[in-house]
Amino acid sequence: MTAFLALLARNRLALWGGLALAVVVVLALLTPILPLADPDVIDTANRFKPAFGDGGWLGTDHLGRDLLSRLLWGTRLSLAVGFAAAIAAATLGAGIGIIAGYYGGRTDNLIMRGVDMLMAFPYILLALAIVAALGPGLMNALIAVAAVNIPFFARNIRGITAGIAHKEFVDAARLAGMKDGRIILTEILPNVLPVIVIAMSTTIGWMILETAGLSFLGLGSQPPQADLGSMLGEARSALITNPHTSIVPGVMILIIVMAINLLGDGVRDALDPRLKSGALTRPMAATLVDRTDVPKAEDDGVLAMQDLKTEFRLKNRVYKAVGGVSLSVRKGECLGIIGESGSGKSVTALSVMGLVASPPGVITGGAVRFEGTDIIGAPYEDLRQLRGNRVAYIFQDPLATLHPLYKVGDQLIEAISAHRKISKSEGRAKAIALLQSVRIPNPESRIDSYPHEMSGGMRQRVGIAMALANDPDVIIADEPTTALDVTVQAQILALLNDLRRERGVAIIFITHDFGVVAQLCDRVAVMYAGRIVEEGPTDAILTAPAHPYTKRLIDCVPELGGGRRRLAAIPGLPPMVDDLPTGCAFAERCDKSTPACRAGEIAFDRSGLRAVRCIHPEPQGGAL
Amino acid sequence: MTLIDWTRRSLLVAGAAVALTLNMTAPVVAQTPPGVLIVGQIAEPKALDPAAVTAVNDFRILMNVYDGLVRYKDGTLETEPALATGWDISEDGTVYTFQLRDGVKFHDGTAFNADAVKFNFDRMLKEDHPYHNTGPFPLSFFFSAVQNVEVIDPLTVKFTLNAPYAPFLSNLAYPTGLIVSPAAVEKFGAEFGRNPSGTGPFKFAEWRSNEAVVVEANPDYWDGATELQAVVFRPITDANTRTAEMLAGGIDMMVEVPPVALSKFEGDAFHLVEQAGPHVWFLILNAKEGPFADKRVRQAANYAINKEALVNDVLEGTAAVAAGPTPPAFAWAYNKTLQPYAYDPEKAKALLAEAGAEGAELTFYVTEGGSGMLDPIAMGTAIQADLQAVGLKVKIETYEWNTFLGQVNPGLEGKADMAEMAWMTNDPDTLPYLALRTEAWPDKGGFNSGYYSNPKVDELLESARAATDQGERAKLYQEMQTIVQDDAPWVFVANWKQNAVTSDKVENFALQPSFFLLLKDVVKN
Amino acid sequence: MLGYILKRLVSAVPVLLGITVIVFLIMAMIPGDPATAILGSYATPENVEKLNRDLGLDKPLVAQYFIWLGNMLQGDFGQSFALNRPVLDEVLDRFSATLVLAGTAFVLCSLLGILAGVVSAARQYGFADKAITFVVLLGISIPSFFLGMMMILLFAVQLRWLPVSGMYAIYGGGDLPDLLNHLAMPACALAVVATGVIARLSRSAMLEVLRQDFIRTARAKGVGERGVIWRHALRAAMVSIIPVLGIQAGFVLSGAVYIEMVFQWPGVGRMLVDAILKRDILLVQGGVVFVAACYVMFNIIVDVAQSLLDPRIKT
Repeated sequence: MTAFLALLARNRLALWGGLALAVVVVLALLTPILPLADPDVIDTANRFKPAFGDGGWLGTDHLGRDLLSRLLWGTRLSLAVGFAAAIAAATLGAGIGIIAGYYGGRTDNLIMRGVDMLMAFPYILLALAIVAALGPGLMNALIAVAAVNIPFFARNIRGITAGIAHKEFVDAARLAGMKDGRIILTEILPNVLPVIVIAMSTTIGWMILETAGLSFLGLGSQPPQADLGSMLGEARSALITNPHTSIVPGVMILIIVMAINLLGDGVRDALDPRLKSGALTRPMAATLVDRTDVPKAEDDGVLAMQDLKTEFRLKNRVYKAVGGVSLSVRKGECLGIIGESGSGKSVTALSVMGLVASPPGVITGGAVRFEGTDIIGAPYEDLRQLRGNRVAYIFQDPLATLHPLYKVGDQLIEAISAHRKISKSEGRAKAIALLQSVRIPNPESRIDSYPHEMSGGMRQRVGIAMALANDPDVIIADEPTTALDVTVQAQILALLNDLRRERGVAIIFITHDFGVVAQLCDRVAVMYAGRIVEEGPTDAILTAPAHPYTKRLIDCVPELGGGRRRLAAIPGLPPMVDDLPTGCAFAERCDKSTPACRAGEIAFDRSGLRAVRCIHPEPQGGAL
Repeated sequence: MTLIDWTRRSLLVAGAAVALTLNMTAPVVAQTPPGVLIVGQIAEPKALDPAAVTAVNDFRILMNVYDGLVRYKDGTLETEPALATGWDISEDGTVYTFQLRDGVKFHDGTAFNADAVKFNFDRMLKEDHPYHNTGPFPLSFFFSAVQNVEVIDPLTVKFTLNAPYAPFLSNLAYPTGLIVSPAAVEKFGAEFGRNPSGTGPFKFAEWRSNEAVVVEANPDYWDGATELQAVVFRPITDANTRTAEMLAGGIDMMVEVPPVALSKFEGDAFHLVEQAGPHVWFLILNAKEGPFADKRVRQAANYAINKEALVNDVLEGTAAVAAGPTPPAFAWAYNKTLQPYAYDPEKAKALLAEAGAEGAELTFYVTEGGSGMLDPIAMGTAIQADLQAVGLKVKIETYEWNTFLGQVNPGLEGKADMAEMAWMTNDPDTLPYLALRTEAWPDKGGFNSGYYSNPKVDELLESARAATDQGERAKLYQEMQTIVQDDAPWVFVANWKQNAVTSDKVENFALQPSFFLLLKDVVKN
Repeated sequence: MLGYILKRLVSAVPVLLGITVIVFLIMAMIPGDPATAILGSYATPENVEKLNRDLGLDKPLVAQYFIWLGNMLQGDFGQSFALNRPVLDEVLDRFSATLVLAGTAFVLCSLLGILAGVVSAARQYGFADKAITFVVLLGISIPSFFLGMMMILLFAVQLRWLPVSGMYAIYGGGDLPDLLNHLAMPACALAVVATGVIARLSRSAMLEVLRQDFIRTARAKGVGERGVIWRHALRAAMVSIIPVLGIQAGFVLSGAVYIEMVFQWPGVGRMLVDAILKRDILLVQGGVVFVAACYVMFNIIVDVAQSLLDPRIKT
């Protein structure tokens, strides 16, 4: 609850809305004890006195009544009605929705047809007819407004309940012999409650508007009592001559509804689980760059990272995802980057072309040189020209990374047309050729398939084909085989290997699986907590790891080609990158650690082709 | 066509629509040609068949398209010849013989004659008439006294009544008595209401549903052709919108100007026209049960309400304080010696104390609008406050007009102590006869919803109806007014002065006490 | 697809029938009857009874309903008591006016709403986003009838740019520019709320989509920002925007009642309010059937559009 309030308070607009609403509500609550004129005392000789004149702060209405007093009393009434209607509609609507969603089948069908009918009925007319049938009065207007809103709640809640009703915990409760009523109350209701609250908070404003509308049509409160809507309705006839009598209640409605909407948005955002981790933000076209110094260029390969640093800056925390990584890859070479989840390997890869989601991502230091030119902080257009053209990516989960609504052929063609003009037929031919090159059978028909119509392996081949579209110099493959089964994985690896040999493409291959590294990579870099802890030729590292972490990683690889095994076999967890320890980040989990390990920065010692960041390296059997 | 193409195309089309909408060409001030008068009406007419309609709003059009046998003399409520050139009334007041005007033709070219008159009344009154099914004819009871209509010769027609009925001539001047073309009824049947044909100064041209009813000058009008070429009646239900249209120049004339808007029309660009009419706005008091069963409490209510403030402030002077049940517009029948109840809260309190009705709780039916109801919610609220001030606890219940009538007309017993009401009539007989007699209690089919009963009043009203001499009738009505004022079955509140605003281009326009809108002599430059 | 549409159409029939039953029941519950409404001050029980007999309202309600239903199925919607005119003529006249108004408003609010939402999302936390968010919030918080009245005061009475009310000029109008002139204010006033709702939803849908992996893929391919936003993100966001358009279409159709009253638009919303007040059952019945049918049709269109847009949906 406090967390919720804190989140709510963080949203400045919601805070303002909440404050405004609080002021209005407090005023409304205090109205009876405020020193106000009697709202119902009529003084027809002093009608339509302007605001701030001798007729009181806001002047008087068409019967000479004090507008300020009427406004506050009216606000009180309108708020009460709005809230009551929202609660009534939410309770009944949610009840109906839960029943329909929980029982399903014929009950559901019957209820939802009824709801459909009510929804197809113009709501104002329904409200009008209900009020006409029940007689006038605010209570009946309330009933009408609540009634016309029930279908919306019912529909919303039904959908969610139907989703929950078949979850395991509900089945479990049913098997445990719980009665339906109890399941609904103890299992379903707590889960739909946040949704009800969200829906309610966003509809209260709407309710107040609707009640005002009905009052405007003369179907609301009974004179002399007035809610804001009937004040507006009564003042309307004098709109042209004395607009202030209309504007006063009109503006109050505006303020209340706006405040409620702002607050409602805040409540919705605060209750939304995705937002607990931070604001719902969209990534910008390229990662933000905020670096003070640029390292000097070193002539080293087609693509080189130098002391690259990338952080995630959230509200009050900084996650140093990449803490100074230097790596390079030569033409035709395959470099593997290996590490556990969260070690920063993907962020490193994405930083290269400025694809780290930003906000919250920021590149805070270092350089990435493509053919010698630094591309960190390069103008967006330059960066765009390189992306997919010279440096291409292959991503992990192709179902999520391919656009679900476009045919794969169109997506392939777009990869080309983003960089050069291409005719329709030429594009199609090229797309077919690309699909062929990644050994997709029957490419002429596959080109018209949507991603969801393909198997995982096929989709990954499409992803690879897309990366190849412009004959790039570098391919960065971010765990391209993780989601695939072993045989498909082997095929994909073979494919990549062929490409590298045939086309001389440099490949940066990111994985957490040494088995995969062994098959494909010339060199490998091991990442831990945002830094490289060991680097060297694959064979050398596999046979004789120097860093204790590397050793543990290699130990996780099954001896014989069995099923894949996860790295979780290492006890403990990697440190949080927002709270890195001094010294070796692995010290906590390392059985060889000594106080010196935690004393200060550990150097990345290079000797020959290998380098390691450890003061107690594993003993090396033989020459390095 | 792929979806993107489809999206792009629809975007283009929509974009064009937006561009057009936003590209609001040159400022358009609605200019209407001279000779064409545009009238802002308060509602869409129901039909243009005079026998089928009941609303003043519809009458405003009909009176310009049709003529009756008689009509009201300009500026009065007294009858004068129209399609009939003269008439004889039998001694006992039951036989009326009319001589008809020669050479008059309906707009459809057929001749007006005695057969046409008989057709009109038979259609309305005889259930076996072949065109009775073109009804229903809600106000046919205006002529329920008519036993039969006989054609004596083509220009003479005789009405036989089942009893003497003094208001008969006045009722003939009422829109229900307007004469329609039999040929047109035969041709259009139930659709006659949208294809009207009469003998009036204007003939029907076009009815664009909810936009306008257009009538054009009838060059062959028997009483002289009009200056105007055409009149357009525009229904604009919302009073604000109507006012805005008038200010913006979209209409040349508007009727029933909301009191609060009057100040906007004070300049030279507009003419404001006023005319008191046979209208009375009152509160029905439930004399059968509750506090108002006591005459002193009813009188107290009359004293407690500040009628001056109501008519001068709430209604901005568009009404005068009413003294009794008969409006002064019926000059010949009005009792000029009658003084309205003064505003005297002290006296009211004293009367309440005397009757032991201090702090009585009352239910007050208020309507939201309705024919002749003026500004009923504001008035009801002000009345409630006045009664509150003398110690009566009044609870208002508002109803939309039709529901309101459904609640009030069957009687207030068991439901309410008081209710707003207003009547516009054409004869001093109508209102008291239908709403004050003992025989007019709701269960007997009348409108005496407050159950007032005074045998003397009953007797006076019966004899006034049967008397054929106007002087004698006047005396009876005046006596009745004195008694009723003292008995106070109602709170007499206001007599409306109907108003209209015209632009400065409109000349020769006057309102009539009958509340009809006669445009025959109007000129528009 | 055709079969699907047919199936949906068939399933709409019981909904429509149900609606007519509800209308009939509600109208039966409302005190007062058409005769009282027609007779006004002269509605004595005797007159009312006679008129009801003339109007054929003395029959039991169930009988009235089935007579109506039978006639309607043969295309006869009956005669309006209050307007003395065949219901179908009146409804068609008025309905087309409402379609023009609500249709324009709907196009306006869809285009502006989506545009505002996309711009807002693309410039999240920038000035444009804040400005749009504020205006949108203002839009969804203002009662449309109030806005309409204010617009009349400003644009018609003060500035005299636009006509106050009506659909066509009374004289010399009737062409498209004339219609657009009259349409400008009511269509905008009607579109405001829906624009706000659509803009808010489009914004959050866009934000949601922009965080997706396939957007990163598009960027990694070197697609420009314009392509990323409009081609990739909007296309995917439309999947969640379109159902909202469907709901908003219903709101626009309903909200037209107020706007039609304020701007004197000769539409079906105002007609229905009048008809309810005058207890003109057949007219209410006929009008509601049309409005509801329109709503149902629109829902079907939305679903079809949805399935055309999203190949993952099976029809």
